[in-house]
Formats: sequence, structure tokens, C-alpha cells
Amino acid sequence: MSLSTALSIAQSSLLNTQRQTSVVSKNLANAYNADYARRSAIVSSLAPGSQIATISRATDVALFRQNLTATSGWMAQSTIVNGLDRLAVSVNGVDNATSPAALIGRLQEALQFYAATPSNRTLAESTVEAARQVVLGLNQGTQAIQTFRTEMDGQIATAVSDLNQLLADFKKVNDEIVGGTQAGRDVLDSLDRRDALLKKISELIPISTISRAHGDTMIVTADGTTLFETIPRHVHFEATPAYGPASVGNKVFIDGVPLQAATGANTNASGSIAAMVQLRDEYADGLQLQLDEIARGLISAFAETNPAPPNGEVPGLFVWNTPSTMPAAGTRTVGLAGLISLNALIDPQQGGDAQKLRDGVNFAFNTANHASFNELLLAYADGLDAPGSFVGSGGATVALSLKAYSTATVGWLEDARKTAAGAAETKSALVMRTTEALSNLTSVNVDEEMALMLELEHSYSASAKMLQVIDEMLKTLLAVVR
Amino acid sequence: MKVSFVSSQAITQAMRYQTARLQSDLVKATKELGTLRVADAGLALGARTGISVSLHREIDRLKGLIDSNKLAATRLETTQVGLKELTEAAGDLLANYSTALTDAVDPTIIQQQAQKMLATMSSVLNSNLNGENIYAGINTDVKPLNDFLDPASPNRVAFDTAFSAHFGFAPNDPAAAGITTAQMDAFLAAVEPQFLGAGWQGDWSQATDQQITSRITLTETAQTSVSANIPGFRKLAMAAATVAATFGGEMSKEGRIAMIERGVELLGEAISDLANQQGYTGVTQQRLERANERLSMQIDLFSGSIQDLEGVDEYEVASRVTGLRTQIEISYSLTSSMRQLSLLNYLS
Repeated sequence: MSLSTALSIAQSSLLNTQRQTSVVSKNLANAYNADYARRSAIVSSLAPGSQIATISRATDVALFRQNLTATSGWMAQSTIVNGLDRLAVSVNGVDNATSPAALIGRLQEALQFYAATPSNRTLAESTVEAARQVVLGLNQGTQAIQTFRTEMDGQIATAVSDLNQLLADFKKVNDEIVGGTQAGRDVLDSLDRRDALLKKISELIPISTISRAHGDTMIVTADGTTLFETIPRHVHFEATPAYGPASVGNKVFIDGVPLQAATGANTNASGSIAAMVQLRDEYADGLQLQLDEIARGLISAFAETNPAPPNGEVPGLFVWNTPSTMPAAGTRTVGLAGLISLNALIDPQQGGDAQKLRDGVNFAFNTANHASFNELLLAYADGLDAPGSFVGSGGATVALSLKAYSTATVGWLEDARKTAAGAAETKSALVMRTTEALSNLTSVNVDEEMALMLELEHSYSASAKMLQVIDEMLKTLLAVVR
Repeated sequence: MKVSFVSSQAITQAMRYQTARLQSDLVKATKELGTLRVADAGLALGARTGISVSLHREIDRLKGLIDSNKLAATRLETTQVGLKELTEAAGDLLANYSTALTDAVDPTIIQQQAQKMLATMSSVLNSNLNGENIYAGINTDVKPLNDFLDPASPNRVAFDTAFSAHFGFAPNDPAAAGITTAQMDAFLAAVEPQFLGAGWQGDWSQATDQQITSRITLTETAQTSVSANIPGFRKLAMAAATVAATFGGEMSKEGRIAMIERGVELLGEAISDLANQQGYTGVTQQRLERANERLSMQIDLFSGSIQDLEGVDEYEVASRVTGLRTQIEISYSLTSSMRQLSLLNYLS
């Protein structure tokens, strides 16, 4: 061991310390950057006297993958929760105060008063007014649902174009990594960027990654469709510009394969795109079906039976776009809730006579024109409680009264909200937990870096002192020689 | 690899997340404390929200029924008063008729009594409540009883025509002095259908036999009015109208006696019919009262169910609010002391 070797060791030590300091300062600069993975300089002794510090990036592949899955699940669930909240408020009102169920209750109450004093025209008009509120509730509910579906469709289109953009960005970063790795360049920053992109993609769609040679990464969706392999695969979605009750939304295609439909309020959807498709198709359309059935129930509860054989039924207080025919019995007429309206012959605002509700609008039931004739009114009020047959949210026929069916609609939506909110809590806890665990493994602790910096400071001054000592020793040696 | 490593970011994130959760819980608890109902009934009840909506609706409907029952009860009370008034008047008239049978009473006094009876009848049977003629059956916008004392009224015209047709002269014709008991009995039998038969609804009454039907509970209906067409009113009208129209100065004594005898018979039957009707009406009133009691009980029961579903325990919520506030304060002070806990503060 000679002095010159010692000198070169001290020199390389200074160099390594400087390099380590730059790592510490980079770590500190990114202490609060969620997409940054902590770097550490690993110092290894190779040959005697020469040390090489390599810089590594903290990663945990398993935890990262778990975090991606949790993020997808939570994004989907929170999309469902928010969507259901919006649907519930826009159709049923705050605390279900303007739900068809509550409005029908008010109509029945008004009928009750009117039947007690059938000669009172004001009560007749207030009953028609209550009926108008029901019609408005159904019409506006339909409109709200279809607006909701249109907006969801627009958001899906935006998300799909975001996804395509993210995949294009991913290709650039992935190419950099592959090229850099092959050329031996530092690709750590690109790795950070790639992980950040993966997180963003997983918010939209559930993914898993497959690592390949030279740092190349392939992305497949949870159902096994390739999303990225050397080049991004195209995600295709055609938005429908305006929805009506009969419109059927388009599917999202990844590489030509349709995205699977998700089910359940504790949704099995992952990623916001699948959840938005589920909201658009399952919940919005399911609610529309129930509103349509309520509208059909109303038209038939207030229908008038022809006193002359063959005793056919004709719509009474509530009519739809073909006023003199009844909607098909026992099956859904698509969009009926948007078509239902008040009979112009009864509605005072359209020049009708509200008292016709008592006497019959299509046929004269009150032939002698008695002021307190209330047979029809009592029958209408009872009809709302009489059992009927409706198509339920699942498509099966259920035997319920109109009032019971309308409350079941409220129950259906609120059940979904409750389940979704409960699931959101679990899934958000999972995201928090995995994010925290991942952050603990891969992010920076400022105190630790500070402590490390102190160590480096000491090491630097020690090496510097070493240089000085060796320098003096060499001077001494040279003085002896001179 | 460190044994237990925590990143600075995880520390701040965790604090932030916890504080946000506590704050949103506090918002909910405060709302619950204000309304004493769960903050979001839909989220709390899920599928059972339908039950809560239908309970609220049923309560509104039951309250509506109680209100409409009040209306029917008032109608029945008025009817009851009217029936009582007519029964009393019939009793008075019966006493007068009985006197007339035994003693010599001035016929015009009897005639006036009979006319007074008819006037009482029109005033009672044509009484109006809330814009409804309560004795009109369901034809409530029309006064049910025609005024017999008005010479142009159809019932008076029909009666006079029948008299003239039967005897060939008017009641105040001097020829009336020759009417025998048998002739009068024959006339009374002939004119009877005008009162007790089909003639009543044509000439006397605009009321319908059908009475007002009211829904008094969710499942029960009741007849809540009395029609002017019941037999009691008809008999009363006949007993009074025959006397009122023909008891003038020219009528023979035999004719008068025959009329009074028939009148006494009819009045007796009328009083018993009216008493029966009072009984029926009383039963309906009682049914209404019971129905209201049942409705109130149902409302109480349903309100209790709603309270069970949506209500919150105020003490529990109050202590929850206090607890949350304490927790949030702790969380704030922890955050601030954690911020000071940094190596930076000790390096110079």
C-alpha cells in the first residue's frame, strides 16, 4: 500500500460522497412528489482502493401492482357512488321528497279530499294539480335520466380519448427506457414517469403489467386484452350525441374486444370507464324502466271502462301520445314516463273541466249530473292500492299495487346507494392502505435524508482531511529527498 | 432495507386523510343533531327507504282521512239535529191532531199547525252545509224539497189536481161540505202514491235515494248522509200536506175526521221511522268516531315506526359530536407538533 494509492482512494471517496450528496439532494427535492421513487446510492468496494457508487430506485413490484388494482376498484366504486347520488337527487329529489312514490301519495290524498266533497270545484282543481305534479315528476325524471345518460356517454368518450393519449405517452416513455437500458443510460426518471402513467391508466381501466427484457413493459387489461405491447392498441368508443329512452349506448372496444359489462352496486367494475358504462346502462336505464312502468300504472289506474259492451278501457285523467288507446298491458312501453300527460279535457290549464274527473271524461258516468257523485273518485283512490302487475328492475314481472311498486323503486335506488357507499368505504380504505404502504417503501423520509447528509458531511471532511494528511506526508517525504 | 420505514409523504397524507374523515363525520353528526333524523335516510336505510317513504305517505293519507271524517261528522251532527227537530215537530202535530179528534178545535188552527210543520220540513230538509244540501242524497247542488205552501210548486199543483180530479171540485168549493168519510178515505188512498210511492221523487223531492258514501278508514266506507226520500219524511209530509191543503172552511166534518185519523196514523209511523233513522245515524257517527280513533292510533304507530327507522338517539349524537370535536382538536395539535418534529430544526 503506497501513499499514492491512499491518495486515490481518498479522491474517489470524495467523488462518491459528492455523488451521494447529489442523490440526497434529489431525494429531498422530491420528498413530497407522489410519483417519485426514492433513489439510494449503493457503495460497493470492488478492487482494493476503488469504490463505485451505483444509484438504485426503490421499488416493490407486488405492492405497486396491488396499488394499481386498488386504485381501479376505488375509482369505479366512487364513480358509481357519485352517479347514483346524482340520479337519486335528480329523479327523486332530496330525501325522496319529489319521488313518484311521494307525488302519487299526494295525488291520492287530494283524491280523498275531493271524494269527500265532490261538489267542490276547487278540490277538483287541486286534485288535477296534484296529478300534474305526478306527470311533471315523471316527465322531468325521464329528462334527467336521459341527460344523465348523455353526460355519462360524453364522459366515457373523454375518458377513452384520455386513455388513448396516456397510452401514446406510455409508448414514448417505454421506448426511452428500452433504448436507455440497452445503451446503459440512466433511465430512473423515465421509470418514475412510466409508473405515474400506469397509475393514471389504472384509474380509467383495470390493468396488469408484464415486465420483459430491457425494461420493456406490456400492459394487459384485467380481462386479458392487450392494451400495450411495443405499440399502444387502439381503444375505440363512439359517443351517442343525444339519448332518448329507447337509445342503446355503444360499447367500448379495446383492440376490437368489447369491454365487459359490470354488475352490482358493490361493483365488479374496475376503472372509471367500466363504472360509467354500468351507470349509463344498468342504473339509468333500470330507473327509466321503472318510471315507464309507473306511468303505465297511472294511465291504467285512471282509465275509464266503457259502460257499453265490450267494456273496453280508455285512458282517463292520464293520457299519452295516442290519447284514445291504452298502452300495452303487462309490458313496458319504452319512454312512457316522458310521454304521459294530463288529459286536455280535464286539465283546466288546457281549457278542460276538472269536474270531468268526477263525471267521466270519455263516457258519462254521472248521467243525472249529481253534484256529490263520487263513485269514480273513490274507485280511483282505491285503484292506486289495488294489486297490478309490473315489470321489475330485473325484467321479471312482479305483482304489486302502483303505490307499492313506486316505493319499491325508491328502495331499489337507495339500496344501490347504500351498498355502493359501504363498498366505497372499504375500497377507499384499501387504496389508502396500499398507497401508504407503497409510499412507505418507495418515498422519501426527510429526516432520514438529513441524517444521511450528516454522515456524508463527516465522510467528506474525513476524506478531505485524509488528502491533507497524505499531502503533508508526501511533502515531508519530498523534503527528505531534497 | 429498513426495518420500519415511514415516508414523510405517508405521514402527512395519513394526517390529512384522518382529519378529512373526522370532519365529514362531524358534518353528518351535526346535521343529525339538528334534525334528530339520520343525515341521509337513503344511505342509512338502503332498501328499507321504500318503507319509510310509504310510511310518510300513509301518515299523510290518514291525516287526510281524519280531516274528511270531520266533514262527514259535521254533516251527520247537523242531520241528527234536523231529525230531532222534525221528530219534536211531528210530536207536537200529533198532539194537536189528537186533540182535534176529541175536542172541537177551530179547523184553521189545525191547518196552521200543519202548514207550520211543512215550513219546518222545508227549512230542515233544505238546509245547506259547506255548499252542500245535506238531505239531497248525492244531488247536493239542488234543494231537495219543493215548497208545498207555494201554490205554483209542482207538489202543490199535483195534489190540487188529484183532489179536483177525484171530487170534481176544489177543496175550498162549498161542495166540499158534502164529502163523506168513505169518499175521503178513497181520496186519501188515491193520493197516497204521491207521497209514499213514485210521485214523491217527481213532485216533492229532487234528492236521490243514493246517499253520500265516504271513505272513513283505509278499508271502510260509510253512508254519511240521510236522503230526503226516507219513509219518515214522506209520511210526515203526507200527514201535514193533506191537512194543510184541504182543511179550509168548506170541508165536511167527516172529511176532516177521516183526514186527521189518517194523519195520526201516519205521524205515529213517521215518528217511529225518524227515531229509527236517528238510531242509524247515531251508529254511523259512532263508527266515524271509532274510525278516527283507529286512524289516530295508526298515525301514532306509523310515526313510531318512522322514528325507529330514521330517528337517532339525541344523547348518542350529542356525545358523538363532542367526541368528534375532541378528536379533531387532538388531530390538529398532533399535526402542528409533528410539523415541529423535524431534524431540520436541530441542524444548524
